[in-house]
Amino acid sequence: MPFVDLDTTAIARSLSQIADREGDLADAYFERREEVELPADDDPPGIRVWRDEGFAIRLLRGGNTWLATRDQIDRSLFAESLRQVARVMPAAPYPQPALRIGAFPPTDIPRQLLRFPQSITREIRRRLAGFPMRLQVRLHRRWVRVVGTQLAPEQQEEEFFSLQADMPWGQYGALLPQLDAQAIEEVASSLMLLFKAREAVAVEAGHWPVVLGPSACAVFLHEVVAHALETDTLVLGGRIGAARGVRIGSELLNVLDDPTGGPERVRRSTDDEGMMVVRRWLLRNGEVEQPLADLFSAQHSKDLIPGAGRRSHRHLPPVPRSSHLELLPGDSSFDDLVADIDEGLFLPEVAHGSIDPLTGRLSLRVPCGLRIRNGEIREIVGPCRLTGQLSDLLSSVTGVGSEVVPATGAGWCAKGGVKLPVWATAPAMRLENIEVAS
Amino acid sequence: MKQRHLAAEIFQGLAAAGHESGELFLKMGRSRRFELGSHGRVSGASREVGWAVRAGSARSSLFLAGSGLPRPDMDWPQSDGKAIQLSAARPIPAWRPPVDLDSSLVAESEAIALLEGIERSLLGELPKSRLIRGLLDEGTSETSVFNTLGVDVSFRSRAASLYLEAVGPWGGESSVSLMVAAREVRRLQPAAIARRLANRLALEHEGTAPAKERGEILMAPPVAIRMLAGLLPLLVGGGGMRLARRYRDRQGRIGSSALSIMDNGRYPGGVLEAPVDGEGSPTGEVVLVDEGHFCQALLGWTDVSGSARPTLGCMRRDSWRDMPRVAPSHLFIKPRPEVAAGSLVASVTRGYYLVEPTGSGRFDFEKDQFWLPVCGFALRQGNVEVPLAHARLEGSIGAFLQGIQTVARDLAFQPLGGMVGSPSLLVTGVGLSRTA
Repeated sequence: MPFVDLDTTAIARSLSQIADREGDLADAYFERREEVELPADDDPPGIRVWRDEGFAIRLLRGGNTWLATRDQIDRSLFAESLRQVARVMPAAPYPQPALRIGAFPPTDIPRQLLRFPQSITREIRRRLAGFPMRLQVRLHRRWVRVVGTQLAPEQQEEEFFSLQADMPWGQYGALLPQLDAQAIEEVASSLMLLFKAREAVAVEAGHWPVVLGPSACAVFLHEVVAHALETDTLVLGGRIGAARGVRIGSELLNVLDDPTGGPERVRRSTDDEGMMVVRRWLLRNGEVEQPLADLFSAQHSKDLIPGAGRRSHRHLPPVPRSSHLELLPGDSSFDDLVADIDEGLFLPEVAHGSIDPLTGRLSLRVPCGLRIRNGEIREIVGPCRLTGQLSDLLSSVTGVGSEVVPATGAGWCAKGGVKLPVWATAPAMRLENIEVAS
Repeated sequence: MKQRHLAAEIFQGLAAAGHESGELFLKMGRSRRFELGSHGRVSGASREVGWAVRAGSARSSLFLAGSGLPRPDMDWPQSDGKAIQLSAARPIPAWRPPVDLDSSLVAESEAIALLEGIERSLLGELPKSRLIRGLLDEGTSETSVFNTLGVDVSFRSRAASLYLEAVGPWGGESSVSLMVAAREVRRLQPAAIARRLANRLALEHEGTAPAKERGEILMAPPVAIRMLAGLLPLLVGGGGMRLARRYRDRQGRIGSSALSIMDNGRYPGGVLEAPVDGEGSPTGEVVLVDEGHFCQALLGWTDVSGSARPTLGCMRRDSWRDMPRVAPSHLFIKPRPEVAAGSLVASVTRGYYLVEPTGSGRFDFEKDQFWLPVCGFALRQGNVEVPLAHARLEGSIGAFLQGIQTVARDLAFQPLGGMVGSPSLLVTGVGLSRTA
């Protein structure tokens, strides 16, 4: 608990000296990270540990942001940073508030991290398979505390795992809330599917009905709903407020961003700007309700609610991003979703997704899938690419599954060079007439 | 001196914990960052301090890295059963630090003036176009490497980078982006950069897609650089030698006699110019391909043993967070000072002048195939006939290497992992087609 004893009053007092104009916003962001990696077998040295801490001071004034960051938490560096961010040199030196922080405790390396690669290999063998694979697992821990001139919310903590598997036929990556039996089962199943698909025939290019599994649906929604409704995307197209109330998709789409509802160890009550997070309706019955906004955007539009500001690390300013997307379940069982498909595709996973914010064109790279024929799941097919215009894709949703799987990782988002983990709770989804390229 | 003392204390602490060999990597720096974009104007100033320790023995090893400075009395994480090898100290040839190391970092007013200057020039070149993102970074750093085998080196660096994204006046089209790097922001030329962006935008909008075409292909440096970057699996790491065998002709050449490729960690004026690599081994020029003959791939000292072990270091370490890895620092195709790029344009009777890549493309060494999305112009008798876009440069990797007819003198570098450089290349034996 490194930042619980920070003297927030003294920090707030210091910050108020640089926020000297009406409408100014100043805050201090304290961050500590610890990462533990178990690299692949052939990659010495073995266990790798990163311990990283520092702070950022920010001043927001109108359309300008000034940011000063340091890799150590120290009172003299804090005063120096205040001076760098301040727009007017003060008559007296800035005060140096005491910055009491807890020392880095000895690194606790969870046993399940050390055992995970063997557990995966064992689970694959149990399925009567075995193949070469380099597996790298990483534990991510993060503590943040934001202190503003008026607000000093509690410290926030996150803990999760990431995994990267390299095989001769491709790569697989996942974000995992825990390394438990369910994670072993999910990862082994995905790796087995990729193994079986290594020599599968490619999908014929064309337009097909497609059923996205929960994991693929999470990536799809992240690209076409979350990115599309981030205020830094909306501003490229003109007025942000104009998006509200516009129907952009099927009535079946009820999509929220809820940082309080993700996997237990990544739940947040405040964002990386110290603002209360909200259960934010992005789409209600296919209609845009509340875009994802941070403090910068909310300062420029009264209709926007902040609380979606995220920082990949202290050296970069916050950006509006989703944390945990949630697609409310529909009323179709999985069998209902595939029942009347004569010829189509079931895609359980998406390897990579991207959307062009200017043209609205989506591209999802799919490592493999399963053919649907006469309402039944049939043979495995090779890699393909789904493409289409955002509005066409969202309008083509004709079914949302009723079975919700627990919240899990949607993957690493890297929009604009800002790398952030994103989470999702989504059922399966059916889309009609989707352009599939081989 | 302070750092040397700290390193000694760290090594003592490691020895007490049973780790007979150890390495301390320290990096400290200052940087400025400026951005114009959908979040208004952002101006940042950072001081970065970080360290990394690798330690262990023939039976176990560990890696611990952190921000700030390391404490000799810290708790070392548990080591595992993997052996660690550290680089032994080697004599470092004399190196004169670049003169720009002491010049000040870009000020906020200068940075904003540069970004606004580019925006203005872009508007001048292509009215109603828009710069939607401009991101300027400049930093200096001091790196020190110590190890228990006698490595004890420090050096300073400096680098600046600029990323730009712009849209044309037409609406409904994708943006185009550009990334350039230099040692100093002050060396960036706003008018030339804006012209490159404007050309890309205009070509993407007005260019016509080719049918299946062949002919002489003149690649401007940005296209040739992307081709060279695509060849990295052939030029870097243990797999390169195996791939090179596949491309050798009867004379033992993998490319035409016009092709010489080298990597140089001390490239004068280069963004990554340094006397040593990330493990403290001396850097220098390594010839990888000499007049078409494959000499060697860029290898780390742990990749080979005995007399074949390279004497020059190429273990790059971008920050204290990164493990050392074999990587080029300034990888480039050797230019020919007597050949002007303009004379190559004039010499093309029927062919294409490809000025920019529009994506990263794909290089498949198993199938001996490549493709790279490009834009440029069709040339007839040395004159521009039509603009070209939505085009794909494609063919066999072997045919590209053997088909390099002439190399010009306009060597330029781009940041693609390391700095990758090439002059204009006149090539035959590859073709163009329409992108899917």
